[in-house]
Amino acid sequence: MHNTRFLTQEFEYFVPHTLSEALDLLFTYQDKRTKILAGGTDLLVKMKTLGIGVDYLININEISEIKNVELDKGLKIGAAVKLSQLEKMKAVKEEYPALYEGITSMAAIAIRNMATLVGNICNASPAGDTIPPLVVYGAKLRIVSKKGERVIPLEDFISGVGETILKRDELVSQVIIPEPYKDLGSAFCKKGRVKADIAKINLAVGIERDGDICRDCRIVLGSVFSKTLRAYKSEEILRGKVIKDDLIISAAKRAAEEIKPIDDVRSTAEYRNELARVMVEDTLHIAWERAGGKRW
Amino acid sequence: MEKEQYDFIGQPLEIKNIGKVTGKELYSSDINIPGQLYAVILRSPHAHAEIKKVDYSEAVKVGAVCIGPQDVPEIIYNERIVSIPEKTYRDRTVLPKEKVRHKGEALVACAAETEEKAWAALQKIKIEWGKQWKPLLTLEKALSDDAPPIYDWVYLGEEKLKVKNNIACERNIEVGDVEEGFREADIVIEKTFHTQRVYHMQFETKSAVCVPEADGGITVWTTSQGIHNVRILLGNIFNLPLSKINIKRITLGGSFGSSIQMNSITPICVALALKAKKPVKLVSSREDDFYDHAKYPLKTILKVGVKKDGTFTAAHCRVWVEIGGHNIQAYPYLGCVAGWFASLYKWKNIKYEGTAVYTNKVPTCAMQGYGNPQINFAVESMIDILAEELKMDPINLRLKNYVGKGDEFWGQGPTVRSIIRSCGVEEMLLEGAKLAQWEKRVPHYQKKEVIRKGMGVARGFHTSGTGGPNPGEVIDYSGATIKINEDGSVDVLTALMDLGGGTWDALAKIVAEVLKVPFEKIGIYNGIDTRSTVFDVNTHATRGVYCGGGAVKFVAEKVKEILLNYAATLFKDLPENLVLSCNKELGQAIIYPREIPENYKTIGEIAEYAHTTSWGTLAYTSTLRQKNCPPCFITHFVEVEVNTRTGEVKIPRVVIMGDSGTIINPNLWEGQIIGAFSRGLGFGLLEETDYHPEDGSLRCKGLVTDYKIPTTLEMPKIEDIIVRSAHTYEPTGPFGAKGIGEAALSSVGPAIANAIYNAIGIRFYELPITPEKILKSLQEKEENLRKRRGE
Amino acid sequence: MKKMEIEFILNGKKRKIEVKPNDLLINIIREDLYLTGTKYGCGLGECGVCTVLLNGEPVLSCLTLAITVDGKEITTIEGLAQGDELHPLQKAFLKNGAVQCGFCTPGMILTATALLRENPDATEDEIRNYMRGNLCRCTGYVQIIKAIKECTSIKNKGLTN
Repeated sequence: MHNTRFLTQEFEYFVPHTLSEALDLLFTYQDKRTKILAGGTDLLVKMKTLGIGVDYLININEISEIKNVELDKGLKIGAAVKLSQLEKMKAVKEEYPALYEGITSMAAIAIRNMATLVGNICNASPAGDTIPPLVVYGAKLRIVSKKGERVIPLEDFISGVGETILKRDELVSQVIIPEPYKDLGSAFCKKGRVKADIAKINLAVGIERDGDICRDCRIVLGSVFSKTLRAYKSEEILRGKVIKDDLIISAAKRAAEEIKPIDDVRSTAEYRNELARVMVEDTLHIAWERAGGKRW
Repeated sequence: MEKEQYDFIGQPLEIKNIGKVTGKELYSSDINIPGQLYAVILRSPHAHAEIKKVDYSEAVKVGAVCIGPQDVPEIIYNERIVSIPEKTYRDRTVLPKEKVRHKGEALVACAAETEEKAWAALQKIKIEWGKQWKPLLTLEKALSDDAPPIYDWVYLGEEKLKVKNNIACERNIEVGDVEEGFREADIVIEKTFHTQRVYHMQFETKSAVCVPEADGGITVWTTSQGIHNVRILLGNIFNLPLSKINIKRITLGGSFGSSIQMNSITPICVALALKAKKPVKLVSSREDDFYDHAKYPLKTILKVGVKKDGTFTAAHCRVWVEIGGHNIQAYPYLGCVAGWFASLYKWKNIKYEGTAVYTNKVPTCAMQGYGNPQINFAVESMIDILAEELKMDPINLRLKNYVGKGDEFWGQGPTVRSIIRSCGVEEMLLEGAKLAQWEKRVPHYQKKEVIRKGMGVARGFHTSGTGGPNPGEVIDYSGATIKINEDGSVDVLTALMDLGGGTWDALAKIVAEVLKVPFEKIGIYNGIDTRSTVFDVNTHATRGVYCGGGAVKFVAEKVKEILLNYAATLFKDLPENLVLSCNKELGQAIIYPREIPENYKTIGEIAEYAHTTSWGTLAYTSTLRQKNCPPCFITHFVEVEVNTRTGEVKIPRVVIMGDSGTIINPNLWEGQIIGAFSRGLGFGLLEETDYHPEDGSLRCKGLVTDYKIPTTLEMPKIEDIIVRSAHTYEPTGPFGAKGIGEAALSSVGPAIANAIYNAIGIRFYELPITPEKILKSLQEKEENLRKRRGE
Repeated sequence: MKKMEIEFILNGKKRKIEVKPNDLLINIIREDLYLTGTKYGCGLGECGVCTVLLNGEPVLSCLTLAITVDGKEITTIEGLAQGDELHPLQKAFLKNGAVQCGFCTPGMILTATALLRENPDATEDEIRNYMRGNLCRCTGYVQIIKAIKECTSIKNKGLTN
């Protein structure tokens, strides 16, 4: 058994003030158990409950380069930007409603004052609430290391439960969200045991509307597989079609068939299958209306 | 009875315990003693295993003080000593000697200069395990013939008993002839109900600080609902005279029954401090706490016979409780369940069979109601089932059969009974129905919407204390010392705990009312311990105001008598010619000769005179046992909205009617009722501590992350929780008051279940009613309909 | 493990202390600085009873390393009253019966101060939503929400005049 009253790990602590300092540290200690401290709301929980080992801890909260959000043809969100900072931005609420809904569905205000968007991504939980919306918006990650940088789609970043493709000397410095298509409608939905819980299921959808037609769409679900899952076959049902109720119903049904949920302490696979169908259906309706589409 | 005009009783006074909003209030975990060591506990990784050897030598080498099974006294005890000794089962020692009986059972403890150091030392302990058994986690498994015995023998009083089939104790009661009763009935229905294990989730985890004193005694601060019982137990276990043990009365960060018994960590902390010869502080982690206590679950098979006109003829009630690895007063629990069952309705003939069964799970204990919400769920669900069968309004069926004024109430099982003298049941059902707009309720089969509304009613009660004309099996008395200080302010010394419900505020008001001293001048909140107080049994059984308040009223009246007698010598008059009243402008109690108010003296002046003339202190000490156990009644009207696509339930509105006789403090009374409703909501819809079937671990791992309780967003809004009081007066209570605390929870669960039935036509026999269960049942219902239609 | 010196403002006063990198803020506040109004509830940021204000924003001291508050400002429940004058929220909690066992109260009040600063005219729904991470087992929240509502600016003007 563990004890959540204190930390037992003994580590060396660094608080770099520039990104290059941080990358130097990561490079130097890449063969050790080196962890990045952003919000700490996942890291410290894992240190307490899973006892994960830490030899070196790098606090990135004092690096000014990554504390900003750039508003320029989309959003560029630095790795030390707190979730509560994002939910207070008009641009997030208006242009990226699914992301706004995802963030505000999360935990307590105190957690959102601590936690970062990049942290939520790097934690790579199948239930991460910001991941489905970010996939819907086609977000990319800027990954930097002492050796250089690369930009990769978020969809390719997470490889399993708590696992990413991040190398040991690398750090995600920024989330890049492109400007949304002009008639994009998007929405997020989550069900928990109580409001503001870890999701039984969470999902985000985005529909790009061209007249009555769905030009393109994304349906992304969480807590139904070892990582966030795109319901490609369901998307296929809608893509390029005139949107009608029955089409949305069959897309929702298909999405429920694509997921692979499990029984766990939060819910059952059986319930999740059923719930996914209802949630996808409802959220597609909301997204379509937000895209300016008519409701039948 | 004519209601008196009160100066303080019933006035909406502010909470006076200011420390709770400034952070200055001290709880056990806030006590720091210079030089103290911090303790942590090693808990069993196995659910049922033989302990061969505990070796903590490596931990000692790194500077820790350790205790293991070999170090604790041989005394076998029950951590709750509310029953008389010959009716008390005993099965445990401070740490288990031969084997562990549930996962997470405390096994070894270490103390060091910091918690981290103690924890590091703990990792060095080696345990050699002997035989291990697959954990027995259900009633059926534990009762089966091939089940390994969790105990070979236990004690009942001084008698050593062999344990058969893991049955911890049994209780059977028969009144009248049920078979005859069922023969008289037109309809007989039998159903099986289950209520689950719930975790108390009191916010302060169980904590203790123990200081070994120079004279060989100990001073202890610990999470407790009754400090005198803790002292008696520690005296017994550690073979110390009670005069050398002092337990401090200290504020509790919630309890809900989880500190009715002496907490398991308290004697562990004492044993460590005695061994270390240093102060030791032990604060449980949340995981420790999850593995320490839970609410008694209940399986009930209830069979009821009723005539066509709605008159009951018989009820047969069989209950089973799986109590976990220790017996913390399951015997009185079974008695109480019988009592709640017998006192809800006039069944005419009763047969009750109760069985408590050991399992390899966390030991269960009282949690707001001591079996009442559990059996109420069965009975109040059954009343609705019967009403539908009889085509009667559920309210009318309740009105026809309820146990009320003039009837006998079983306040604490079959041996503690008294006659009901105040009863608001009828008023609450009828007025509540109006407020809830009961007449607009439509049957479930007329509802076709996606989101279906429903309304349900259920009623319940709890006893106010465990007094009665005869002593019975339960110890119940309270006491106080009250003294008028040299400036006319008043000290009230009582061991009675305030669990957060405002008991101390209520007691202060009662004393203020008797002595006419302003509430602000009553000192009651701190500086109390076992040494300075006479015995008080516990804050349990909703007895704080009725029994504790009764005792302080009794003592305050004695002080008043002393005061008036003394004042009479100053006024050169007879005491009966003097008037004691409160002068609000002066902020003082005053005394004057009848008809001559201008000749008043303040009691400050009188007390000062008594002091300067060396007359002495105006004070009195005594104890009181209440001779009744009046029920405080409750009725819940709950509205639900069931989403038939997701199975989610929302509670948009609720009407709650309470009957506590005179209400001492309306704000806090309402707070008790609303708070209980939130816990009832958790019990009805959300909460359960379930176990991993293989290793007997908690599926939530002892983490709040996966044990959800209602948040602000699950509760109805301010204007949608309507709380009203019945107009009653309890002639045996202090200023006409009864209790409220546990009553307020008793009928929330069935009211929700009845409302869900009214919404979707599905009866749930098991709590909690989760969206998963609802959706599954809706699908099965749909499937059955399709089959019936031949699709 | 080596101790490091940090300097921060605690309830308006500059403090210089030595901490280990793995010391949690909650334990430093409670056990080293003897401000025991900040409570341990779950240790995982799930209950809100350890809430303190960091530069005015509610954070959870059970998930905060003490070393990271170097150069920052911390307010605990003990720092809220101005001398003997209670904060309006503290008064409203007492008046409305919003306190039972009192264990969640410090965190509740601190979170509410941030809410009212951010949104002085908060509606009941906004209060409920903002406060959702501060759990209470005793009260059922209703009287807490009432107390906070009473302190929203419109009502508050009426109260103080």
